[in-house]
Amino acid sequence: MSYETTIGLETHVQLATVSKAFCGDRNEFGAEPNRHISEVSLGYPGTLPFLNERQVEFAVRLGLALGSKINRRSTFDRKNYFYADLPKGYQITQDDRPICVGGALPIRTASQQYAAGAPTVRVQLHHIHMEEDAGKSIHAAGEAFSRVDLNRAGTPLLEVVTEPDLHSAEEVDAFMSGMRQLVRWLEISDGNMEEGSLRCDVNVSVRKQGQAELGTRCEIKNMNSMRFARRAIAYEVDRQIALLEKGESVMQQTRQFDPQSGTTSALREKENAHDYRYFPDPDLPPVVLTDAYVQTLRDTLGILPWEAYTELLALGLDPDDAALIGEEKHHYLSFVRYARASPAVPELAKLWVNRVLPFLQQRELGLEPEQFATLQTLIADGEVSAANAASRLLTDLLENPGDVRQRAVDLGLIQNTDTDFLKHIAREVIGANPDKANAYRKGKKGLIGFFMGEVMKKSGGSAEPKETQALLRGLLEETT
Amino acid sequence: MEYYCTTVLFYYRTNYLTPMFYPSIATTQSALDAGEVTTVQLVERYLASIGDQRYLNIYVEVFADEALDRAREQDGRRRAGAKLGRLAGIVLSIKDVICYAGHGVSAGSAMLEDFVSPYTATALQRLLDEDAIVIGRTNCDEFAMGSGNENSHYGPTRNAADPARVPGGSSGGAAVSVQANTCLMAVGSSTGGSVRQPASFCGLYGFKPTYGRISRYGLIAYGSSFDQIGLLARDPTDIALGLELMAGADNFDATAPNRPVPLYSKATSEGPKRIAYFADILKNEKVDGVIRQTTESALKELRDAGHTVEPVTFDYFDYVVPTYYVLTTAEASSNLSRYDGMRYGYRSAEAETLEETYKQSRSEGFGTEVQRRILLGTFVLSSGYYDAFYGKAQRARRVIQEQLRGILADYDFILMPVSPSQPWPVGEQIDDPVANYLADIYTVLANLAGLPAIAIPAGNDPEDHLPVGYQLMADLWQEEELLSFVCRTKK
Repeated sequence: MSYETTIGLETHVQLATVSKAFCGDRNEFGAEPNRHISEVSLGYPGTLPFLNERQVEFAVRLGLALGSKINRRSTFDRKNYFYADLPKGYQITQDDRPICVGGALPIRTASQQYAAGAPTVRVQLHHIHMEEDAGKSIHAAGEAFSRVDLNRAGTPLLEVVTEPDLHSAEEVDAFMSGMRQLVRWLEISDGNMEEGSLRCDVNVSVRKQGQAELGTRCEIKNMNSMRFARRAIAYEVDRQIALLEKGESVMQQTRQFDPQSGTTSALREKENAHDYRYFPDPDLPPVVLTDAYVQTLRDTLGILPWEAYTELLALGLDPDDAALIGEEKHHYLSFVRYARASPAVPELAKLWVNRVLPFLQQRELGLEPEQFATLQTLIADGEVSAANAASRLLTDLLENPGDVRQRAVDLGLIQNTDTDFLKHIAREVIGANPDKANAYRKGKKGLIGFFMGEVMKKSGGSAEPKETQALLRGLLEETT
Repeated sequence: MEYYCTTVLFYYRTNYLTPMFYPSIATTQSALDAGEVTTVQLVERYLASIGDQRYLNIYVEVFADEALDRAREQDGRRRAGAKLGRLAGIVLSIKDVICYAGHGVSAGSAMLEDFVSPYTATALQRLLDEDAIVIGRTNCDEFAMGSGNENSHYGPTRNAADPARVPGGSSGGAAVSVQANTCLMAVGSSTGGSVRQPASFCGLYGFKPTYGRISRYGLIAYGSSFDQIGLLARDPTDIALGLELMAGADNFDATAPNRPVPLYSKATSEGPKRIAYFADILKNEKVDGVIRQTTESALKELRDAGHTVEPVTFDYFDYVVPTYYVLTTAEASSNLSRYDGMRYGYRSAEAETLEETYKQSRSEGFGTEVQRRILLGTFVLSSGYYDAFYGKAQRARRVIQEQLRGILADYDFILMPVSPSQPWPVGEQIDDPVANYLADIYTVLANLAGLPAIAIPAGNDPEDHLPVGYQLMADLWQEEELLSFVCRTKK
């Protein structure tokens, strides 16, 4: 019997606003515990939330990018539960009327990504809502107490909830990568999974192929690593299929993944689920957005990652180059600026991927598009070898920008195509190695590499390889 | 100085000379301006009055030294001819639910007995900026839940008109603080009548503004969509000035909109007004006879003065109290979740685990009435009951507001009793919460609809000499109309 897996995700995106969602505390990862706190984030008596408008702006931008409907009126609710890292005893969230509804994220799985023209899958979204994060509880082994860090309490989150529209761990991976890319592209989050800026709850169910209704689902909480998520999903799918195969049924549960054992285990059953007693937060009036506000954000949204990727493919880039260059918006924008001046865009992309992107990790690019165009022309005309251009010339220019041709001359990289000069060297080399020349003539044609190397050495690397090889072959045959 | 104080008290009690407690901001400030009295002397008189009436249990804490320091500093400025704020020399009390940086604030609860606020409420800060002097924090029902001031961790406050009786609540200490001449004006709070009802029980004006008129930041929450800071005073003009100074938008309270603040203290009222009343109440046997009488004579006086006074009907009196209690307890159950023994407040010493800490701290830290309301509120929000209770109450609230505002589209004010009953003996209603809840019927209307309303004193019951009063309610944001009318008709 074959089974079909259905997965829905609840993705939490921590927003990169300067201050928290409902007060002026700094929103910053990595500070000493309990530094970014105030009477508001500590839930002191008499304090009230006051909405950070940047959170709304970020939510609308994400919604517009994903093609969601932007609710002109959305409301905040309270989700009530007790925990040591939840200062008010409730979390402010949007339950009844979220800010964005619907939409879809186009994804490319790893296997599709490298096949040019592969179709993208569009993962349908249920909604996006705003909420605040809780603090962090740290239960260290061997300590009889827990530690609570409230720096994160009240930081702004967007929760992106998908329809049950994914079918494999590979697709989940692609969705999370796509989401990470998008939030970074929009500059609304650093998308850092290790720091918890991006994490997800995974709802997994299986059903027999052809069965109409979805199977009973289990929710795996708080996946903040794609590696763990893949393992958790694989384990959970196997577990559920095994249950069904034995004729048992899957219980609706909240489960957690244990990276040590690679298994999931039940946190609580559905009947023991929290009753969160959601109700409208009386401290926060509805968020009302004007059409003009939404339109302004729409107008300033700019190109989106999947549009950029398509454009790069249209420029003739390999899918893998397009994916690498189109990963980050500023890389994409800078590349297309250089591509406009380039005589050979796909080759520029190779230089970009191999030389420029690694350089950009450390430094700013000091070369103008015209300088790159000159460099590419030198290669195209055979004046500088492609290998030398990519390594020595470009490396030097990246460090010290300057006149490209002059630099090639200074570095002695202009290739020698002067036949007399090359002939002279080639003769010398052949004369100095009669045994090898003989061996070549007797059929050890692989020795051509040796002669090439020698000529290169003697010419100080300036010999143009194609020309030199032809010349060497001619001379070696000639002396027979 | 000692000698002077004693003399003052003697004169005050025997009423031989002009009373040494000025009845209004204007009279106080002109006495200060004339050099008739110094600010320090004023504060000392109030402090002596507090010391003399400890049995009323008005204050949870008196800020004596600090009040004297502020008074001394103001006297210095006054002598030097330097600028003084609009409340210079004005001594206020604050209800024990209003946060004042560096001062204790406990909401009348063991839960917060040792809690010191690190910040000051926006409304209070605005009064302090105008040189108001805060003499202490007043007793109240725990977390403002009650109407007799009997639900306080610090014991009941007593009505100065008859110490065997309650002063009303929840701002009972606030009302008696003015009634017993321990300060000039009291800052209280109203969720369902907690300013008007004690004001009326103590023979004062008690005013609750439109929801959102005054920032709630720093007011310990009970029912967030109902709570408003209010004022209790002998003179409605003082209330107008206090409101003018406290009102307006605040970047810490999203429910206080950015509406212009009229100069309430300068407003005047002219011409005949249209006043509505509910005829049914005047026939209702459950309403105390003296209250019905007071209401009727108030209506008659207004009619005689040339105003239009007409009966109107309101169809939802049966739903008022249930709607109010479903919604406020729901909000309270969530608002009071933060008192969990974790970051501040009472933590049970016996608790070992997290869950025990929650259960024991909250069971030991909260009083009976607070626990009752938390449980009720938790229940009405529970999955499966939400629609039947909370959802329905929300719809009822809208209907109630619509009908009241419909009446106020045709009339300037609605006149009605504050409470169906007069101050009851301390301890009498403590075991009958439903009777207590039902007594809120006339005051909760204004809070359900967010309307401004003011309790107006109307003398004393000729038999037992307890104060009587009535209230006027106006449409949203019509404080200017309401307060100027009350000032104009003040006897």
